Amino acid sequence: MEFDFSVIRDQAWFLGYGIAVTVALSVMSGLTSIVSGFGVAMLRLYGPRWLKPVVVLYIDSMRAVPVLVVIVWTFFALPIVAGLTMPPFAAALLALTVHLAAYAAEIFRAGIESVRPGQTRAALTLGMSRSQVLRRVILPQAIVRMLPAFGSLLSITIKDTAIASVIAVPELMRQSETVAGQSFQPIEVYTFAMLVYFALLFPVTRGVDRFYRSVAHLGRS
Amino acid sequence: MTLDWSVVWTHRGALIDATGMTILLAVATMAIALPCGACLAALRLYAWGPLRALAVSYVEFFRNLPLILVVYWAFYVLPILTGFGLSPFLTGLAALALNVTAYNAETFRAGINSIRRGQVEAAMALGMSRVQALRRVVIPQALRRILPILASTWVSLFKDTSLVSVIAVTELAYVSMQVRAQTFRVLEMLSAMAAIYWLLGYPQAKLVDWIQRRYAVSE
Amino acid sequence: MNDDDRAKADRPKIIRYRSVVKRYGTLQALGGVSLDVHAGEVVCLIGPSGSGKSTLLRCTNGLESIEGGAIEFEGAVLPRDERGLRVLRRRMGMVFQSFELFPHLTALQNVAEGPRTVLKMNPANARLRAEMFLAKVGLEDKASSYPSELSGGQQQRVAIARALAMNPDVMLFDEPTSALDPETIGEVLNVMKILAQEGMTMVVVTHEMAFAQRVADWVAVFDAGRIVEQGPPRQIFESPLTDRTRDFLSHLGWSG
Repeated sequence: MEFDFSVIRDQAWFLGYGIAVTVALSVMSGLTSIVSGFGVAMLRLYGPRWLKPVVVLYIDSMRAVPVLVVIVWTFFALPIVAGLTMPPFAAALLALTVHLAAYAAEIFRAGIESVRPGQTRAALTLGMSRSQVLRRVILPQAIVRMLPAFGSLLSITIKDTAIASVIAVPELMRQSETVAGQSFQPIEVYTFAMLVYFALLFPVTRGVDRFYRSVAHLGRS
Repeated sequence: MTLDWSVVWTHRGALIDATGMTILLAVATMAIALPCGACLAALRLYAWGPLRALAVSYVEFFRNLPLILVVYWAFYVLPILTGFGLSPFLTGLAALALNVTAYNAETFRAGINSIRRGQVEAAMALGMSRVQALRRVVIPQALRRILPILASTWVSLFKDTSLVSVIAVTELAYVSMQVRAQTFRVLEMLSAMAAIYWLLGYPQAKLVDWIQRRYAVSE
Repeated sequence: MNDDDRAKADRPKIIRYRSVVKRYGTLQALGGVSLDVHAGEVVCLIGPSGSGKSTLLRCTNGLESIEGGAIEFEGAVLPRDERGLRVLRRRMGMVFQSFELFPHLTALQNVAEGPRTVLKMNPANARLRAEMFLAKVGLEDKASSYPSELSGGQQQRVAIARALAMNPDVMLFDEPTSALDPETIGEVLNVMKILAQEGMTMVVVTHEMAFAQRVADWVAVFDAGRIVEQGPPRQIFESPLTDRTRDFLSHLGWSG
């Protein structure tokens, strides 16, 4: 049993493009889901009462339905309903955002609720407005506590971009499939892909651990 | 746009079978991944040298890979490694089991480690051996912390079974998309697929919430 | 007890610490500690935090190992192997600052745990024994309560009962009241006083100076891993021989 990894070298540009798309999709959906998730969390915590069950339904639904289903539905079914066409990358970005924002919202909520109510009371006693309390006292503490969960979410985001391969987004997984199919060397190609994903993901989890340890004291009250 | 929802009803047999396959995959995976995860955690906690390093590497490796890649890799590599061809079902099961074992190992390890050292010392001060302390003091408490996380892992696993559709395992995602391809009823079939997953997954998610509330540990 | 001539009371030495040395890496926690504990005596170890008192206690039942010197229990040097230590620990009871009750067991089950699992008593007998010792510390009505339902003082009393249920020859107390609210300290100290009056050999690490003065037969003052002075309470608290002791007591605001 011999392995010939020269196919990787030959297809370096093609695979490299895949890596770039993976990174781009990860970063973009990471950002959009955090921003959207924050909005959703604010709606849940501070929004009008009638909206809360809707938000909760959305969040719980995203916990119930697989990412694959969301991605596939967004790419194939949404255009039929909405009457528009979407390129695969956009569909994947939208699907990932909608799916991950629910998790991000939960992280925000848990982080904010974990700050002791005494902190809010103390800040209000000083005469701060509610938004000041949120901005200057709650969020800074909450953010530190949320870091490990967000690190974990980033890790999940990167892994979920690989699922976008099923709607032909040219990220690393898809590119690997193509090269593997054409070269009849699936082991070499997929092993390469594994190493790349590991190299992307391992520092994320480790990095978050380290960063959190150094700033954890800022979040304790 | 004309919608024909009757396709869902027409193919209900296939969909029901596919749902059964999804459930089977999840149950079988957990049945393998629970004991394997426990063994791996034990190795990581109590073994040393190369055995422990192996356990640590395994966990770190599979926690840092997309499952869909593991599925493809298993599909192409396992036949070569094992020397014979495995059915898509077994391949998918193997990939899922490899993945979930790693997560379970981490869950068990973290659960056991979360028990304060003082508890073990108090047990040993009474004259218990380490094994007795583990059995009677650490594990009963650790299980309380482990259960909610295992429940959460189960829900993720249930959703992840959809990924083995890429190697043509006849679970819900694959069958739904097959019917879609055959009937060209895209919106209907995909929505039905989403709805079935939702109907199965929503109660499970709520159950996990309940478990986490009930077993909440206050320090 | 006659303070002046401790050796005259020909009670056997239950524990002998001989030049005990304990290191954590480069840090020396105990630098040659020598002390004797006679049968029926209450020995209190006092001193600033980090001076080695708790460390010595934990070396006594083998929770920590020593690097130099020797600890003798009932005439024999402490074994180094786990099995030997296990057998030995049955004869020593230990009470921790953080109580360390088993949260998944009721008070009764906590006290019965040692007799059941270690002494291999049958459950019925273990239960009866547990009830007896719970009653001894005044908590028979809390038998089916879980630790989370008990106050700190109650938890510590259960912990004492749990240790006593093993019928030890000596009781080791590691700052038993340091984690308690002032109101509940008294109930624990009372139990310890009764134990002392009944003749239990006790080694107590404590900051409760009043307790040490009134109940102890012998007091050892620790500082930086060494015993700077030891003697009967009257000497330590009323006319200490060393400046160190004087400094320590005055820092506590101790005026006798």
